[in-house]
Amino acid sequence: MMEFLNFYLFPGILLGCIYALGAIGISLTFGILRFSNFAHGDTMVLGVYITLSFVWLTDLHPLVVMPLAMALTAFAMLGMDRAFFKPFRKSPPIMSVIASFGLMLMIRSAVQFFWGTQIQAMVKGIQPPLQWLQPLMLREKQLYILGGTVILMVAMHLLLTRTKIGKAMRAVSDNPDLAALTGINTERVVQATWILGASLAVAAGVFLALDTQVETNMGFKMLLPMFAAAILGGIGKPYGAVLGGMVIGIVEEVSAYPWIGTTPLLNPGYKAGVAFAIMVLMLIWRPQGLLRGRQF
Amino acid sequence: MHPTRLLAALAVLAATVSAVPARADDVKLGSVAGATGPIAEIVAPILAARNLAAAHVNAQGGILGGNSLVLVLGDSQCDPKAAVDAAHKVVSLEQVVAVVGANCSGATNAMAQSVTIPAGIVSVSDASAAPSITALDDRDLVFRVAPSDTNKGAALARLAWDAGHRSLAVAHANDDYNSGIAEVFAATFVELGGTVTASEPHEPGKQSYRSEVAALAGAGEADALALFAYYGGSGISFLRNVLEADAFDTFLAADGMLDPSVIETLGAEALAGRLTIIQSDSDPENASLAAFAELYRAATDLDPNGPYVAHGYDATFLLALAIEKAGAADPSLISAALREIANAPGEVICPGEWEKAVALIAAGEDINYEGASGPVDFDAAGDIEGFYSINVVTPEGTFEKRPLK
Repeated sequence: MMEFLNFYLFPGILLGCIYALGAIGISLTFGILRFSNFAHGDTMVLGVYITLSFVWLTDLHPLVVMPLAMALTAFAMLGMDRAFFKPFRKSPPIMSVIASFGLMLMIRSAVQFFWGTQIQAMVKGIQPPLQWLQPLMLREKQLYILGGTVILMVAMHLLLTRTKIGKAMRAVSDNPDLAALTGINTERVVQATWILGASLAVAAGVFLALDTQVETNMGFKMLLPMFAAAILGGIGKPYGAVLGGMVIGIVEEVSAYPWIGTTPLLNPGYKAGVAFAIMVLMLIWRPQGLLRGRQF
Repeated sequence: MHPTRLLAALAVLAATVSAVPARADDVKLGSVAGATGPIAEIVAPILAARNLAAAHVNAQGGILGGNSLVLVLGDSQCDPKAAVDAAHKVVSLEQVVAVVGANCSGATNAMAQSVTIPAGIVSVSDASAAPSITALDDRDLVFRVAPSDTNKGAALARLAWDAGHRSLAVAHANDDYNSGIAEVFAATFVELGGTVTASEPHEPGKQSYRSEVAALAGAGEADALALFAYYGGSGISFLRNVLEADAFDTFLAADGMLDPSVIETLGAEALAGRLTIIQSDSDPENASLAAFAELYRAATDLDPNGPYVAHGYDATFLLALAIEKAGAADPSLISAALREIANAPGEVICPGEWEKAVALIAAGEDINYEGASGPVDFDAAGDIEGFYSINVVTPEGTFEKRPLK
């Protein structure tokens, strides 16, 4: 039982938290700007490397400097939106998709150029599990990830339900034409979307880097599971993205548990395929996603 | 120098080397390497060694009567698909005479099968060690100065046995190199009388290997874990998850893990005395190695004893000698010429002795290149004998190397 919790369920929940934070941005961009943003993973990478630089400069814990990196990355994303996406706002979505693809490669190359391709550690060394939680094997950094995710989720919930801009975002996501008719400033909503999406992506990236390591292609590796999470939850539904991320993270890890006999139910090598199996089945039987997102 | 800045500088250097506009009578040699990708830091010093060999040729009178030798870089990214693209670029577009590379075995296999063998181009790899390369149906076109892992895997297994390990778990990334050495290693260990509790392949490039680690640990008590992976592909992540789970005490690995970033990210205290890495190396008593090391240190501030650095120089220098011996930049003549200049008999040529070699070839005499990595005498399959070193992690966070006799 402890083995199940320590090696399968908890890693799954942690991975789910990270997928969920990342998927929110993808889902919102899709809902509000109406294109799949391939550059999202590399926005995450940019934020992680900015955080890493602050850690090098100040020697503070990554989570302390993370808000600053979130702000800088969000600011950078606003600039990139103006340069690469705004000209295509009225064009067919495929233009923006291709632009995001180009932006993805540009960001990654820039990061590789300035920071190098070497694998870096956000926090060096191996953390032992916390003694007071024995026999549960949870490390301090993992508690930070869980706690950080909960805080960010609550903040996002308050933003979307209690503030004017949050309500406007949901309105545009639900029906852009109707929202524009009621006098909502869609450009402001677009900016808010980039800020929220980029900030949460940076958080997801830093959490991932805390749990694993910093590398320039970490965003690309995360891109497909994050898309799967967004689709599973329902495109344009931030809460759906959270749910989808958790489901995919947990199912990926738990699918390798020896449920029958002593060998893993599914060879761990294939666990990435689980996310896609779920995504494909979802698109066939319930294309609107778990939370009735947009349908194609 | 800061490693990132160094890498950036090297990248720019490599780009300028390949961007030099080639004149019609330049002799072009393809240089296919994993300049980016999971072992980029290991490849950077290898590329510097290849460039050094070309620089020696050009500084000592050039090739084929005063022409310059130009290395055309193709980035194989340590990936079979990217290697095919890179090889196409240098072979079809740049019309090179022969190819140095690739580094990773998967890349070399793919490049040879899809591009260089069909095109009739000789390739000399400086780092590909997979046993499967020996068996390629290559019309005598695929050579390598990196010894096959048939011996290295066996040597590591004997080392494990001699260290008192009787049961082992094996984890390997599912690419040509890591699967190849894992297979030889496990087979030898079982022959010696040991038990392999589990041998599990894993997919590189994942964020977490916790369920893989749990499966290995659940397969039974093992004295040690043999982990065959590229450090940037899955090696560091896998080892981190193993250490966090405290699943094994001792670890064995091969060249793909031999990078300082393993210690930097995981910490010396977690690895000191616990991680042993076997390396295809040069015999420290080899006079050619000392000559090469001096030349390399004079030209760069990188380590000449790094994995496959000497091999990178040898592969490039051998091909340059073969072209000179053939007397023309004709790809069809290279294979035969390569064996003549690499194997005995003949006057011994050491690294850096380009002028001497050219004079001997012009006089019609036989030469025998004795490389920095070893005697580089090719057998029928285009393979060479190997020499191995063992690296252990010290408490100070460095690799301590000793030759394995």
